[in-house]
Amino acid sequence: MNTFDLLSMKGKNVLITGGRAMYGLGATLALADAGANIYLASHTIESAQPFIEELRQTKGVNAKAIAFDLDNISSIENLVKTVIEDAGRIDAFVHCSRIIPAGGTGTGWDEDPIHLEQNVRVNSAGSLYILQLVGEQMAKQKSGSIVVFGSMMGLIAVEKHNYDGNPQMLPGAYGHSYSVDKSGLSAWVRHAASYYGQYGVRINAVCPGGLQSDRTNPVFAEEYSKHTQLGRLANGDDVKGLILLLASDASAYLTGLSIPVDGGYTSI
Amino acid sequence: MNKTLERFSLEGKKALIICPENPYSREIAQGLKSAGAEIWVAGETVVDLGVDIAGSFTYTHGSSESAANLEREVRAKMGTLDIVIENGLYTPVKGWKQSYTEIYEQLSKTELGLMLTVQSLGRILAEQGHGSVILVADYGALVGYDPVNYKNCPDEKDNDFSFVKGFIYGGVVNYAGQASNYLAENGCRCNAVAFAPLDGSCCEEFKTAFTRHNQVKRLANADDIASAIIFLASDASAFITGITMPVDGGYIAK
Repeated sequence: MNTFDLLSMKGKNVLITGGRAMYGLGATLALADAGANIYLASHTIESAQPFIEELRQTKGVNAKAIAFDLDNISSIENLVKTVIEDAGRIDAFVHCSRIIPAGGTGTGWDEDPIHLEQNVRVNSAGSLYILQLVGEQMAKQKSGSIVVFGSMMGLIAVEKHNYDGNPQMLPGAYGHSYSVDKSGLSAWVRHAASYYGQYGVRINAVCPGGLQSDRTNPVFAEEYSKHTQLGRLANGDDVKGLILLLASDASAYLTGLSIPVDGGYTSI
Repeated sequence: MNKTLERFSLEGKKALIICPENPYSREIAQGLKSAGAEIWVAGETVVDLGVDIAGSFTYTHGSSESAANLEREVRAKMGTLDIVIENGLYTPVKGWKQSYTEIYEQLSKTELGLMLTVQSLGRILAEQGHGSVILVADYGALVGYDPVNYKNCPDEKDNDFSFVKGFIYGGVVNYAGQASNYLAENGCRCNAVAFAPLDGSCCEEFKTAFTRHNQVKRLANADDIASAIIFLASDASAFITGITMPVDGGYIAK
C-alpha cells in the first residue's frame, strides 16, 4: 500500500478531547488535514462552533462538537455514547483534555491537598474512565487506535534552572501531581497495550515538552531551550506528524509506547 | 567491619513503614531490622511483621487530615526519621472492567496517598537535612504485564490486569525523580523499587512462565527484597536518588 494511504484518515471517525488549544489544536488540525471525521469534545457546543465551522470550510471534513466535562461522569459517558450512536464506531481517540487544579494556597512541595485531590479525581480518574469506555468500544470493534497525551514531565523531573530569572515559576519544580499523573499514564499505556492487543486495539502516548506560545516568558524560553538538542521550544506543528502517525494505520505495529516530542530534551 | 560494609549499616536509624499490611512489608521490615534499624509502622491495621516494633501510628493512606496528623505524631514521638518506606500502593480490586467509583476510590487510596505521605514526611526529612524515602512498586512500574504469563492463573491475571494497577505503580517512576528535586536539595534522597513477585505468592504456572522470561530463572525471595531495601535506605547508596531500581532477576532486561 502507498505510504500516504496508510496515513490517510478519510472515512475514519476520530474523537478528540482538549482539541482546541495548545497541543490539542495541532492534533485536531493534523487529523482534519488527513480527512478524518472529527468529533470534538468541548466544554460547550456554542463555544466550539466557530472552530467546527472553520474545520468544515478550510479542511472540507465532517466535524461536530459534543459537550464534555472531564469532571463529570455523566458527561464522560454521554460523550462516548453520543459518538458511537452517531458514527457507529470510533476509529481513533485522542485524549488531550485535563484541568489545571485550582483553589487552596499551598504551592511547590507544599502543593495544596485540594490540588492533589482534584488532579487524582479529574485528571487521573476521569481520564482513565473515558479511556476505559473508549477502549471497550474499540475492543468490540476489534480495531482502533488510542493516543493519550502524556508529557515529557512524566518521563523526567522538572529542571528548576529552567525557571532562573522567573522566581514566580519556581514552585513548578517541586510540585507533585503532574509528575505522578503523567508518569502513571505512560506506564498504564504499556499495560493497556498488553490488554487491548488481543482485540487489535493499539494505544500509545505522545509526550511533548514545552510549547512556544504568545504567553511564553522569553527568559524561560531561553533557559529551557538550552536544555534541548534542537535549541528551541516546540511549535504548533511539531506534534502533528506524530499524532497522525499514531492515529493512522501507518503505525499498525506500534503499541505501548510513550514517545517524546521534545527537541531532544529527554536525551541529554 | 570494613568501610564499605559499614555504609550498609542502619544501626541507630529509625525506619517508618507505611501500610505494613501490604505485600513485601514483612521482608522489608526484617531486612531493615537485620541491618540495625528501629522499626515503626503507620497503617490502618496492626500486623505481625515478625520483628519487634518500636511504635505504631494509625494512618489512613489517602486522607489529607491523616497525613497532617501523621506528620505531627512522627515529630512528637519518633524524634528523628531516617527511612520512609512508602508501601501504600497495593490495590486489591481486580479486573479490567471497573466503574468510575472503583477507579477513583483506588486512586484516592494509592496515588493521592503517595503524594500526601511523601509531602508530609518529606518536610520532616528536609528539616533534618537527611533521610531516605523508598517507594515500593512491582515490576509493572517499568514494563507491561505479559498476558502470556497467566495461562491457567486467572487470579494472578485479574490481580495484575486490575485496570488501575499499572497506572498506580507506574506513577512512582518519575515521581521518585520529581520528589528528589526538593529532597536532594535538603540532603535527602528518594528512590523506588520495582520488585518481582515473591516465590510462594503466586501459582506455579505463573512462576514457570515468569521465570522462563527472566534471566536469573527464579522469583524473588526475602533476601532479595531485604538487600535492595537496605542498600537504598543506607549510606551505601548516598549518591543515588531519583531512580527506580528493578529487583526482578533480569525480567525487564529483555
